[in-house]
Amino acid sequence: MIGRFSAIWARLEISVAAALALSISLLILLNVATRSMGAAIFWVDELAIYAMAWMTFLGASAALHYGNSVAITMIKDKLDHRAAFWMAKLVDLIIFVFALFMIWFCWRWYAPLELARQGFDVQAFQGATFNFIYAEPTTTLGIKKVWVWLVMWLFSFGAFLHGLANLIAPPQDRELGAR
Amino acid sequence: MTPAVFLVTLFIAVPVALVLTLTAIWYIWESGNTILYDSFAQKMFSGLENYGLLAIPLFMLTGEMMNEGGMTRRLINAARVFVGGFRGGLAYINLLANMFMAAIIGSATAQIAVMARAMTPEMEREGYDIGFAAATTAAGGLLAPVIPPSMMFVIFGVLAQVPIGDMFLAGILPGLMLAAAFAIVLTIIGIWQGFPKGAWYTSREAIRALLYCLPAVLIPLAIIGGILLGIATPTESAAIASLVAFLIGWLIYRELKPSALFEMFKRTAVNASLIIFMIAAANVFGWVIIYEALPQKLATLITSITDNPFLFLLVVNLVLLAVGMIIDGIAAVILVTPILLPIAMNDYDISAYQFGVVMCLNLVLGLLTPPVGIGLYITASMSGATASAILRSLWPFLIAVAVVLILLSYFPALSTLLI
Repeated sequence: MIGRFSAIWARLEISVAAALALSISLLILLNVATRSMGAAIFWVDELAIYAMAWMTFLGASAALHYGNSVAITMIKDKLDHRAAFWMAKLVDLIIFVFALFMIWFCWRWYAPLELARQGFDVQAFQGATFNFIYAEPTTTLGIKKVWVWLVMWLFSFGAFLHGLANLIAPPQDRELGAR
Repeated sequence: MTPAVFLVTLFIAVPVALVLTLTAIWYIWESGNTILYDSFAQKMFSGLENYGLLAIPLFMLTGEMMNEGGMTRRLINAARVFVGGFRGGLAYINLLANMFMAAIIGSATAQIAVMARAMTPEMEREGYDIGFAAATTAAGGLLAPVIPPSMMFVIFGVLAQVPIGDMFLAGILPGLMLAAAFAIVLTIIGIWQGFPKGAWYTSREAIRALLYCLPAVLIPLAIIGGILLGIATPTESAAIASLVAFLIGWLIYRELKPSALFEMFKRTAVNASLIIFMIAAANVFGWVIIYEALPQKLATLITSITDNPFLFLLVVNLVLLAVGMIIDGIAAVILVTPILLPIAMNDYDISAYQFGVVMCLNLVLGLLTPPVGIGLYITASMSGATASAILRSLWPFLIAVAVVLILLSYFPALSTLLI
């Protein structure tokens, strides 16, 4: 069940990442075209950078599902199947713990409970916590940066989901030594 | 404990990016500085807020378009026009085609994958030893990260905070030197072993091959010309190149189907995010490097051995060779640059460009050296030669790279002349 959800989620992540890769190309080309006509659009660069950041974090989360991240497999490749399986399980556990940390970091950063306690009053929240996350603007896009940073939640959730799915997957579901 | 966490997670095959973040998490915990956890996710994100990094997906996309669009074969045919008739012509064709490709593709592993499939069987058919054929192709792949555009130089430029366009310029002379060194190696092996005879094209065939290749030549011209003339940033020229590659593959060569585009964007997103994510992770790992003052500590150690920049670079080269054997290419650049570059620049007055060129060329060698040598294994699986057969023929090329590395370390002008 979780395994299936993890697979569907990863496919979704990759599809969105691909669409973002397309949008990066189009944005930069738009930039080249408008600049050569002497009418550069000032917000394009920042938007392209955020598109890349979203693409990266979604792709990185999906990579945890597919197990194709860059890793040093020198020792694992020398182990027999059984030992390699257990080493992969240990790595799955470490990835899962990493995901828990990421969720905790996002929680501390966005501090939703504290915000609610202050009646969703950003001024009061800042006064109480010295956390200015909800005030920080984007440079050119005219929206608050807190929306852009939401991808860190998506990344943390994806890592949690894929990490959990890999951790509890029975051996036959995963190709031994695939990672 | 922090070094232990780093080494253990690294060697049990935790993804490298996670090794960096986990080490940082552990370090912050151990040093009691847990306030840093509040900005941990933000710090990861901010590592990516860099215009130069946009070039990475765009250059990958150009490579995808080129492969699907049938340009590789036409570039090889064009190379045949220039060197095909020499004894051992195909070996030189391989080298020249690799140079063309390096001016379009920025990644050694991508280039090796394409060229090993295209060139090795052909060389074997004409009577070359398969190990030698594969070794020549793999060595040719080393040109990719030195001749612009180069993924590694983009990463180095971002980490070192130097203009990526200038970093590309710094790679031109070293790239040509490397190609010349490989040509000399081929000539010596040819005299020693005797290569099969080559055949020149008839003038009709030659003109045809060149005409067919002409549109493909637009791509490197767009990339390097745009940067050299200052018309476009590396990021912009990468975008233009990908568009040109798409139009040529679709409208002129008619091999690229628009319906295949989404798959190409998928592959681009997957491969680019693997690399760029490591930069995000390196940004939090930077805390460890800075708070522990690793460069300063290491600098005290190294400056007590020598104060000569050349000797320093030689020592660095030896260390990097060892690092490259275990950690491949770009991951190693991300790991090593923040530690070694400040020493090179502050204590030895070495130009960031020279250091970048030497370091990147050195670390890319790691792709071809066991025990961890992704390039070597890709060559083996694509060409059908065994890794050990390739290694047997590869060592003259590796020596050539070592000589080029020593020259680059000794003469800074080789890297900085064109900037």
